Amino acid sequence: MSGASLERGIHAMKEQIDAPTAMFFSACVHCGMCAEACLFFTETRDPKYTPIHKLEPLRKVWQQEYTFWGKLARTLGLSKPVTDAELTEWETLVYDSCTLCGRCSMVCPVGNDIAYMIRKLREGMAASGHAPPGLIGATGRAVTIGSPMGVKLPALEAQIRHTEEEIGFTIPLDVEGAEYLCTLSSMEIMNFPEYIAAIARIFHEADVSWTLSSEAFEATNSGIQIGVSDIAAVLVERIVKAAEKLKVKAVISPECGHAYMAIRWEGPNLIGRPYPFKVFHILEVLDELRKAGKLRTTGKESRRLTYHDPCQISRRGGVFEQPRNLLKMVAENFVEMPETGVMNWCCGAGGGVSANERANEIKMTAFKRKKAQLDAVAPDALVSACANCRIQLEEGLEENNMDIPVISLTETIAEHLAGKPPTEARQS
Amino acid sequence: MTEISNDTEFRDRLESLDPAYQRILAARFVEKVLSLCDDERVCRVVKVAANPDASADELRTALHSARVAIIDSHARCGADSSWKDQAGYFVARAAAAAVSPPGQLAGGAAWHAAMSSRMAETCRSIDTAEDNTGQVRQQQHLILSEFLTSIESAPHE
Amino acid sequence: MTETEFLLWVRGPAFQGATVIFVLGVAFRLLEILLLGRKPNLAEARGSAMLGGLRTIATRSFPDAGTHKRSAFTHYVGYIFHIGFFVTLLLFAPHILVIEKAFGVGWPALPTPVVDATAVITMIALIAVLLHRLKDPVLRFLSNFQDYFAWFLTILPVFTGYIAFHRVGAPPPTLIAIHILSIELLMVVFPFTKLMHAFTLFMARWYNGAIAGYRGVSS
Repeated sequence: MSGASLERGIHAMKEQIDAPTAMFFSACVHCGMCAEACLFFTETRDPKYTPIHKLEPLRKVWQQEYTFWGKLARTLGLSKPVTDAELTEWETLVYDSCTLCGRCSMVCPVGNDIAYMIRKLREGMAASGHAPPGLIGATGRAVTIGSPMGVKLPALEAQIRHTEEEIGFTIPLDVEGAEYLCTLSSMEIMNFPEYIAAIARIFHEADVSWTLSSEAFEATNSGIQIGVSDIAAVLVERIVKAAEKLKVKAVISPECGHAYMAIRWEGPNLIGRPYPFKVFHILEVLDELRKAGKLRTTGKESRRLTYHDPCQISRRGGVFEQPRNLLKMVAENFVEMPETGVMNWCCGAGGGVSANERANEIKMTAFKRKKAQLDAVAPDALVSACANCRIQLEEGLEENNMDIPVISLTETIAEHLAGKPPTEARQS
Repeated sequence: MTEISNDTEFRDRLESLDPAYQRILAARFVEKVLSLCDDERVCRVVKVAANPDASADELRTALHSARVAIIDSHARCGADSSWKDQAGYFVARAAAAAVSPPGQLAGGAAWHAAMSSRMAETCRSIDTAEDNTGQVRQQQHLILSEFLTSIESAPHE
Repeated sequence: MTETEFLLWVRGPAFQGATVIFVLGVAFRLLEILLLGRKPNLAEARGSAMLGGLRTIATRSFPDAGTHKRSAFTHYVGYIFHIGFFVTLLLFAPHILVIEKAFGVGWPALPTPVVDATAVITMIALIAVLLHRLKDPVLRFLSNFQDYFAWFLTILPVFTGYIAFHRVGAPPPTLIAIHILSIELLMVVFPFTKLMHAFTLFMARWYNGAIAGYRGVSS
């Protein structure tokens, strides 16, 4: 990479460093406890996966740019600035072996939010040309096509038509004045389109006014994963514009972890203004419907079920009680994993790892942490609420010869709706 | 002949059938879309599903094979999508449904196989802009109708 | 310079100098950090950042069960030497007298034999921590000169204080001078090392808890 790119990278890192970042670096005592919180370390025992170590380039920039002695040392040639070679070396640490799961941030005894800082470091890595090719491609497609996987509106419309035939009623598209604007992830549209049927049936049953938008159906945000805030802002702005155009009260984020983080927590800060609408994860909406008595279910799963908390929804997102409330409605045999809720373990594939082919092997190794949890619980089925986690879990279970079906929480709720299925299927 | 004319009836009748019958029907649904999948493993799974005398072991092996085929064919997160390949993914899902143990899939194996088969056709229609999904649905209704007629008129032992 | 002159110098100008460097150094470092500021959060809050921050300052001292098990050595031995260090610093009669003279406030001391034993335990714990740092693959990988130097700066006052109290190896005035010097060394170097965690950890925990609390998570 050219010198200019490295400069951009360092500049990006400098812009990212704030008081919390400086405070965290100043507080670190090299105790190593973050390593035991990181599934990439626990399953490989390779010290290079120690979370705080993954931040070394950012720490150096902080020290050399924002501390008196650091600046002096650099000026006197006593310390070397961050090099392109170093960033190359750190690329796999920052992107392949970190999912931004944030478990390290929960464990650090001095309180360092390491995941917060990895997110910032990625801005520098991307600006210096050190992001994984898979993510670069996905981000490009997200900007130009509207979906990181190249899903275009006609494809979504075909999926909608298929769903309408299955469920027997229309799915609202571009309905102005609807209460909720639902967004979807490309992973769902392509791999789990039954999610669309599930929310349609639930909202129909609960008499909820909702709509999809033909101009903004994609919830996933590759900009966040790669670490380019400008692109992340463009992607969020699309949803915001659609929500404002359709005058909805709230936007619903689908079963995708990083999509929720992007639209709910990062979004307003990316676009520089608060939203004139609320944002909820689908599980939050379903739980509100449950509380209001509008979500009537029938029958319970007798299978032994356990729940995998998607990191961006649970630990980093704050939605961990709602899935449990919902599960209790439809499960008579629900057991928690050891270390659960906000301390649950990552599936190993979030934060852009699954879009990065180079990380295929390491993410399967990391999955062994989840395997250990499942071995302890021995469930009949595994419930989750993120399409990306779902694929990783399925792959990991298959790789380890474990016969445990992975099911979506929203789809499970839909399967247990008390209302009768529609009487007439639509004929084309 | 028992006429199935809508999906509500279709689902209800499928769900009420014995798991062994559901498996046979599921296989027939998948056979109609097998050309959309070029994974040999899936073809073999469907053969097992179609065999009324398939043993529990054979079904278990077939299910494992189908699941591997699903994982190998799913759209990768962030990768450029191919709706042609996605058709193959849904055929694999339909095949897996066909050999799933009873009680594992809400709605039953046959319904799942039917829906996944239709989804495979939907994917093909996205890829080729040629929509035959209505025909697939009608075909499935016909398959069920014929099957129900055949078991109703079969001699009882 | 005689022993007495040396001790007077150490207790007088050197101590004053060290204190000034310590106070200004810590203040400067904290300002350097805080002046970087942080952007306001425009997302709608789910919980209270302030309460979250305050909560984490307290709760982060007590790891969850899983973490506890995995990092038992670091956790327990870390506490032993920290508590031991502060017990010897703050609950030893001669130290309390110094503080009382300087700030006008004092408190009851622990019996001297107890403090003596605590000093021994503290040193054993510190040696154990050093051996762990040298042996454990992650710690060995992470550790640099500063980590070992900070260790040295921490054990030195405990050790020199212990031998001063037991009058071993040199005349008492010299031993006490060396002990005070070791503290002055600690004070002077403190603001420029990870020992700053003594101050920054509270704010780091606060930020952590605030960020999480804003989202409705107790971190």
